Formats: sequence, C-alpha cells, structure tokens
Amino acid sequence: MATRKETRAAEVGDWVDERSGWRLAWTTVFIRKIPKVNWLYTLGSATLFVLIIQVVTGVLLMFYYVPEPAQAHASVQYITHDLSFGWLIRGLHHFGASAMVILTIAHMLRVVLYGAYKYPRELTWLTGVVLMLLVFSFGFTGYLLPWDQRAYWATVVGTQIAEVTPFIGGWLKTVMLGGEEISALTLPRFFGAHVWALPAILLSLVGIHLYLVVRNGITSIPKRDD
Amino acid sequence: MNEQEKQEYLEQYAEEKKKGVDFFPDIIFKDTLVMVIIFLILFGLSAFEGAGLEEIADPSDTSYTPKPEWYFLFLFQLLKFFPGAIEVIGVIVLPVLAIGFLAALPWTDRSTRRHWSARPVVTGVTAALFAGGVFLTAQALLEAPAPGGDVLTAQGDPVAELYSANCAGCHGTTVAAGPGTDFFRVISGGTHEGMPAFASDLTVEEIDTLVGFILVPRGNDLFAATCGDCHTVESLVEQDPADLSDALALGTQFPAHAGANVPDWTTVLSDDEQDELLNFLSAPDGQRLWSQECASCHGSSVAFEGGEDELRKVIIEGGSHLEMPAFREELTDDEIAVLAGFVTGGDTGPDAAALWTTSCFGCHGGRVPTAASHDDAVSIITTGGAHETMPVWGDVLTDEQLDALVEYVVGVASGTGPSGGEDLFAQNCASCHGDLGEGGPNPTRAGDIIAPISTAEYLKTRDDRTLQAIIAQGQPNFGMSPFGSAFGGPLDDAQVAAIVAFMRAWEADPPVDLPPEVPDVPAAGASGAEIFSLLCTQCHGEEGEGGIGPNLKDEEWQDSRTDEEIFDAINVGHVGTSMVAWGEVLSTAQIEELVTAIRELANPPLPPEGIPTFEANVLPIFEQSCTVCHGTSGGWDGTTYSNALLTGDPSPAIIPGDPLNSRLLQSLIGTHPDGVVMPPGGGLSEAEIQIITAWILGGTPQN
Amino acid sequence: MTDVTRRKFLVRAIAIMAGAIGAMIGAPAISYLIGPSNERSNTGEWIPLGLAASVVPGDPVLMKTTVERTSGWLVDTQEVSVFVSTENGQDFTAHSNICTHLGCRVRWVADQAGFFCPCHNAIFNRDGSVSTGPPPRPLDSFETMVEEGTIFIKEA
Repeated sequence: MATRKETRAAEVGDWVDERSGWRLAWTTVFIRKIPKVNWLYTLGSATLFVLIIQVVTGVLLMFYYVPEPAQAHASVQYITHDLSFGWLIRGLHHFGASAMVILTIAHMLRVVLYGAYKYPRELTWLTGVVLMLLVFSFGFTGYLLPWDQRAYWATVVGTQIAEVTPFIGGWLKTVMLGGEEISALTLPRFFGAHVWALPAILLSLVGIHLYLVVRNGITSIPKRDD
Repeated sequence: MNEQEKQEYLEQYAEEKKKGVDFFPDIIFKDTLVMVIIFLILFGLSAFEGAGLEEIADPSDTSYTPKPEWYFLFLFQLLKFFPGAIEVIGVIVLPVLAIGFLAALPWTDRSTRRHWSARPVVTGVTAALFAGGVFLTAQALLEAPAPGGDVLTAQGDPVAELYSANCAGCHGTTVAAGPGTDFFRVISGGTHEGMPAFASDLTVEEIDTLVGFILVPRGNDLFAATCGDCHTVESLVEQDPADLSDALALGTQFPAHAGANVPDWTTVLSDDEQDELLNFLSAPDGQRLWSQECASCHGSSVAFEGGEDELRKVIIEGGSHLEMPAFREELTDDEIAVLAGFVTGGDTGPDAAALWTTSCFGCHGGRVPTAASHDDAVSIITTGGAHETMPVWGDVLTDEQLDALVEYVVGVASGTGPSGGEDLFAQNCASCHGDLGEGGPNPTRAGDIIAPISTAEYLKTRDDRTLQAIIAQGQPNFGMSPFGSAFGGPLDDAQVAAIVAFMRAWEADPPVDLPPEVPDVPAAGASGAEIFSLLCTQCHGEEGEGGIGPNLKDEEWQDSRTDEEIFDAINVGHVGTSMVAWGEVLSTAQIEELVTAIRELANPPLPPEGIPTFEANVLPIFEQSCTVCHGTSGGWDGTTYSNALLTGDPSPAIIPGDPLNSRLLQSLIGTHPDGVVMPPGGGLSEAEIQIITAWILGGTPQN
Repeated sequence: MTDVTRRKFLVRAIAIMAGAIGAMIGAPAISYLIGPSNERSNTGEWIPLGLAASVVPGDPVLMKTTVERTSGWLVDTQEVSVFVSTENGQDFTAHSNICTHLGCRVRWVADQAGFFCPCHNAIFNRDGSVSTGPPPRPLDSFETMVEEGTIFIKEA
C-alpha cells in the first residue's frame, strides 16, 4: 500500500517523465534481463566507477593546482599537506590512475577470455582498445603535473623514447614537449591534454562504449561447445 | 559469420537472457559491492601509503635515476632488450603489433566459436602478451634497486665503488651492450634513453676507469691478482697503453720493473687475459689514445681522407715497411697491379717476374712476401715505407683499443681531408679572419679586434672537435654567426671538417707569430722609416701594404684614424693579437716618428677618370665592405648589378642620377633619417664614397 | 514473496553502499573546497607601522607598511595603509583606509574633518564612525601600541 509520500514522489516522477521520458531511459538501461554472469563481469563497471572517481577528484584537484613550473610543485604540496582532505583527493586520483590501468587490462582479458569481442560486439571492443590507449595517455600526461623529480625525469625518459619513432620521432618529441626540451611550455601542454583534450575524447568514447554495451547486452559465459 | 550463424547466435542469446537475471538490482548490487571494495582499497592506500611527492624537478640533477610509473615499466624494460639501432623494434614495432593484434581481433578471429579452448591462438597470444607484460614489469621492479643501494659488496675497491655510485643504480651489476659500443662517448654524453651525461660529474680518468670496468668485469680481479700488490688502479689508468703493454711483455726487462721480483706476465697470463687487463687499464677511448699516441707526431689534426679499413691498416702496420720506397712514384698503375698480382700469386706472367727482379729483388731477394689480398699488395707497394717512423701499433694495442682509435679518427675526420678547405676558408672565414687567419677589425662590432686564429698557441690549445664546434655553432657573443647547417649556416659537417683540416695545416708553420720578433731595439736616433722597416714590416709588409696586419697605405685606414689613435695603437697595441704594445720598446719620440712615417706611406689612389662603372669600380668596394653582412641573405644585395639597383628596404636603394636621395649613399654618409652609418665597423673612405657618388650621378652604368 | 524481500534488500543495500561512497568522497570534498576560506592569516600579530613622532595632533597621517601574507602556497607581501591620529601625542588611534561599503580607499579631507570615500561620497568621522553615505559600519580600527618610539598595530 502506497504511502502518501510515495504517491507524492510518483507524481513528481510522472511530471518529469512527461517532459523528459526518463522512465524509458531508466528501464532501457537498468530494467532488463541479462544472461547469468559471474563476478568477472563487474570489471567493466568497476572501471567506470574508478573513471568517475578520477573525474571527480581531478576536477577537485584543479581547484588548487597551478600548471606552471614555478608553482606546480608548491601547489601540489599545498594540496597534499595543507588542505583538509587534500591527501585523500590527491591519493584517490593517484592510486585511481593505477586502478584504472589494472581494471582496464583485467576487463579486456575477461573480454578476450569469453570471446566477447565477436559479433555483434566488434565495435564495443574496438572502442575499448582505443579507451585503453587513452588510459595510458592519461597516465603519461598526468605523471608530469606534480613537477617533482620523479615526474620530470620520467617524462624526459618517456619523450625520449618517443623520439625513436622512425621518420617523425624528433618532430613528435618537439610537438609533445612544445620545444626541444621540457620547459615552461611543456607543463601547460601536458595539463591541457590531461584535463581537457583527453577527457573530451575519453568521455565521448565511454559514452559510445556504454551505449553499445546496453544495446547489445552483455555476453553470456560461453560453454565448452560454444 | 554468415547471416544464418548471426541469427542463430542472436536467438541463442535471447534464450540466455530470458533465463538470466535482472540487471537491476541483482547485477548492480554486485557491481556496487565491488565498487565499495575498490573504493576502500583506494582510500586505504591514500591514507596509509599516500601519493608521494618528491623534491621539485631539477633539470640539472644528473644523479637522479629516472623511473617511469609502474605501468610503463614494461616498455622501459623492453628497451633493454633492444639497444641501439634496433631500439625502434622495442619502442614502436612490438607495441604497435600488440595493439594491432588486439584491435584486429574481431576481424582476424572470425569463427563462431566463443569458448576459450576453441580459440587457442587468440587466448595463447593474449596470455603471452599479458605474461610478457607482467614478466617485464616484474623484472624491471626487481632489477633496478633503489639508487644508493650497494649492489657491489666489494668494499674498499675504488673501481667497484665508482661503478656502484654512478652506474649500478640503473644498470645493476653489469652493463649489457653490443660489441663496438663507444663506452666513453656514452658515459660522457649520456643516451637518449634517459641516461644522464656524466662528463661534468666525472673526470676523464674516472670515466676511463669505468669503461675498463664495464668492458672487462673480470679486469678488476685480474688487476688485483696481477698488479694489485704494487699498484693502484688510479696510478695505472692514466698510463700510456704502449708502456702498459711493454710492462706485461718485458717482465724484468721493463725499466720500471727492473730489480722487482716480477714474472714474465706473458707466460703467466693467457693472451686473452693480457688483453682484458690492458683493456681494463687503458680503456678503449679513441680521443685519449689519439692524444697519447698520435698527437705528438700528427698534432691535434685528425684529418684523414681514406676509408676506415685503410686507416686501420695504416695504424696496425705502422712503419713496418721501413726501408721500402713508395713505388707509386716509380711505377705506373698498371705495373703496380701486375706486381701485386705476382705477390698474391694470381698473375705469374713473365712481365711480373721481370718487374719483381727490377724493382723488388734488391731488397726482398727471392723471398716473395705474400699479401693477404691484391688490394693489400697494391697498397703496400704504392705507399712503401710512407709511415716509416710510425710504430707498428698492431703489436702494441689491443683490438678494442684499435677499434676505438679508428672509430675516433674516422668519426672526427668525417672522411674529409684538407682538400677544399682552403677555398671554403677563403669564402666563409677570410672576410673577418683574414686570408691567413691573422684577424683584424671585427666588421660586425665596431671597435672590436678579432685575434689571430692561426697562431701555434691558438691551434695547439684547441682540438678538432672544439674548432668544428666553434665554426658550426658560431660565437654569438663575438658576432660570429653559426656556419654549420645544423645551426642554420651554409656548411655541412664535411665542409666544416675541411676548414678545420685546412687550419691544421698552419700548425706546423704558423703564419702568425705571437708575439712578433723584436730583433733589435732601434737606436735612439733612428728615423721613422728605419724603425718601420725594422719592426713593422714583418706584419704590415715592406711598403706598409699589409700582410698579417692591415694595409697601412689604404686610404680608408689612414682617413679613419687620427694621429693620436695611431700613436695609441702603437703604444699599447691590440690585446690578444700580434700587435703588441710597442711602447715597451720604443720611446715616445720614436713612436711619433713612426706615426709620421706611416702617414707618409699614404699614397691616395686617384679617382678614376670619367664616370665610374659598376663592374670596374663599384663592385670591388661592395665586395670588400658590404657583402660580408649583406651577402644574399636579405635586405639590400650588392653582389650583382641588377640586384644592387633593384633590392633594398625600401627598394630601390639607388636612384640613378640622384645620389643624395639614394638610400645607399645616405647610409654611407650618414644622412639617412634613421641615423644608420654603413658599414657599421667604420665608414668607407672619402675616395670610395666619391666613386659611388660619381657612379650614381653618372646614371649607374654597368660597364 | 521472498523474491520481493530479496529485491527490496538489494535495492536498499545498493543505496546504502552508494550513499556511503558518496559520503566518503563528498564530505571530504566539501571540506577540501571550503578549506582555505577558514584560514585567517596574520591575526594577533603586532605589525610595526612607523615612528610615533611622525604623527602629531591634528590631521590623521596615512602610514603604510607591508605585511607578509600566506595565500595557499604563496607567501607575498601586501601593503597595508592605515590612518593614524592622535589627540595628545600619547594615545594613538588607527583606522583602515578601506571603506566598509564597497572597499574603495578613503582619504582624509581636512575641510570636512572626515574621511571621504570617492565612490559613493560617504564620509566617516575622525573616530571612524559613519557620518553620511551608505557604509554599513565604521571604518575598521586597529589596536595600537607604542614601543621605543615605534607605533605597532594589531588587527582588532
């Protein structure tokens, strides 16, 4: 028996639904049956969850972080040591990056194991591969931002590795660094890529990826004769 | 998958779904539970481990051991398996292949089978990729201990400690590198895989020691067992490799070992061990070997035109053909070829035997030496004992040392000899440095004097690499623009090397002596002319027409100086040049006499009759005074008739018939509104300006 | 029936877990965001202003000094301008020169014997109280102290 409160909530829901069709969206995404699956199938949503953590903590970090060589390190230090719960926000973002990589790879291994890249989910798989590359790009661009010794030298190594690319290596490195070496121009570049360019691409692709997942449904666990 | 198979799959999937579970809330519950676990892990890591923050980035710190984030370690580690030229395989090829494999999976694996056991290739390769990544990551984590960790326990061993302090942090206990690696260059200059340059942190000797240690890990033990009782590594590392070689070979015959109870090491140590010991002590470091062994005869010039093999042969054989004349002067090419064929046993025709008898029998008798190849024979016959005073380095140096020496010489010489260097010098350098490198007024900086670059002192104190770097990169602080193509200049590396080789030719007989000779102090009553001929002619010529020093008869030179300035120049000289302070030799009265004498040298050229022409009268002035800077590099260009008339900013710079409104003349006489007076190092002489004025007034004829 | 309870349980569990995560990140995030606004810098410190002898009975004197302020990770110096006046050469009063209305700088106008704010023509009396115009409260004043001939002020 519906309480008054529930009736009231349903009325509001109806009002909004009439104007947005959210119930259809909700039922399409959530109220559906999927084949019996095991715990490995939580890896995808776990990746999505960490991605959300990264977005939230990343946005929070941007409130204080300054992408400029003279201040970047001090601002990160301020976040970590002086701000209340700064250690948590930065810690989540830092370890979340590793979690992203681990979960992405684990998720992909699950997909390969169950042959989930096959018809009709080829596109889902393809966007997934690109998403993995993006995750690594995030790791690479984000690593420089604290502007500490580790960040600086790892980026020196990383960009010099890129220089080995045949024909365009030198050019590639110059474009990445915004010059011949890591400079005041490099940090804003990496920052811009890390917080604007890459997220824009990643979130669009995640949208497509999720749409495809919902549309085609999750694979069932193949049996031995499948 | 055909349509039917697709249909079957979709039906089967619909069936599975029907039997399945609710996404919400069943699956979402599982997902949320996992999320909570992950969040707690991340929270715990943040709270107890914390995101570290090291010291602020310090680009000048060469001791920092770079290490990428752990998820890039596999790539970092992969590179260790692909050193040098094949690095591209590790960096690009393998990762691209792996990603390509993954991306193409739906299209390469087209079967309808989905169970992993039915897809052995895909599951196999994926598992291998994953396992490979895990393996590489684990290896990288295990292999690179924290910097400062004492990898080598050899306490009190200075070489091992040096290695431990500088190399072990990244390289572990051994350094893997392909044969032929120029370790000295790698250590001093770093690599682009993130290895820092150690040249500023370590001395040359320390680097040499490290090279020896890396090349011959066993060398340290060998040394301790063989020499360690009496010597320390440091004391032997800087020794001449030839001496070290002798010390091993001669036993007690070796002067320094006389009286010591020293065995004949050649019987104690195997050949390999001797080589290892020598390599350890005298690391194959081409530049140092050159300065120790070759520079005393060859100077610091490393000019060499031939190929690497030829050079190797010259070094190895040295003066082994001591008495043998260079037959290229006595025999034709054909004859040498025949003779070479005879020696190598290929051609034994009657001509050959006859040639042998006439040319070689006198010294070689009937014992025909055998050469390894026809080319070898040709080379020996042609050059004969050209290197007669040169030691047979093949007996002294180890193979590794020879490799290093050859590589160094070939690398520095870039296969270019002095040929062409003279022309290149005349075209590119002489306008500022003079034909003989004697220097003079700096055309780009008024009042500045360019010191001579052809003195023995200058050349001896700069090695080829330094000179090449100066030419290639320029000396921006002194107004010298870069000449190397890598820095935007006109010359490629070979041409720069050729100029250096040309300059080296001065070293044996420097055209500029610094300081000049002061034969006799002139007598008190000597006239100005007498003093001039005694002291000044050695640089300025008999008539003051110039040589190493400027032309004193030149009207421009005379006009642009007051008597006081000439007096001062003689009295205090120009620092750093052959123009010494003659005030220390001459009295004030004598210098005044000299100034008068110099003024008398002036013999102003008469302005040409009629209207001057471009080719005959004007162009020489432009070439002498303008093209140094204007050249063809923009702005006004006076190198050809049409360009002189058409170019300029604003163009034209010359208005025929109207000199006073021509930008060119305005700039020469200083009436241009922007206040520029050309040339910046000092204006043209009155006569030269008159010629140009007359030329413009006369309608700028070409011929 | 059991299915309905199970479902209810699951939904509730999801809500609790999601709420917990949200709270564990949301609450710190709020604290993180408003954190620096709670910080007050340089309160309770005596700031040397200048020589007491330069202030004589009569018109207030504008004295300037710089104080170090820490904003986040940056420490920079900030100029503080204070009107100091005295009646007897012994006791000093110090007022901020910042108008309490919109933060314009006030100046002493001797004709009117008051601090004049050019933005909205407000006038403060010599003791800092509002004479005319929109300011909601008197000029901020400082505690003063004289030690060895130097005036010190402290934010009240």
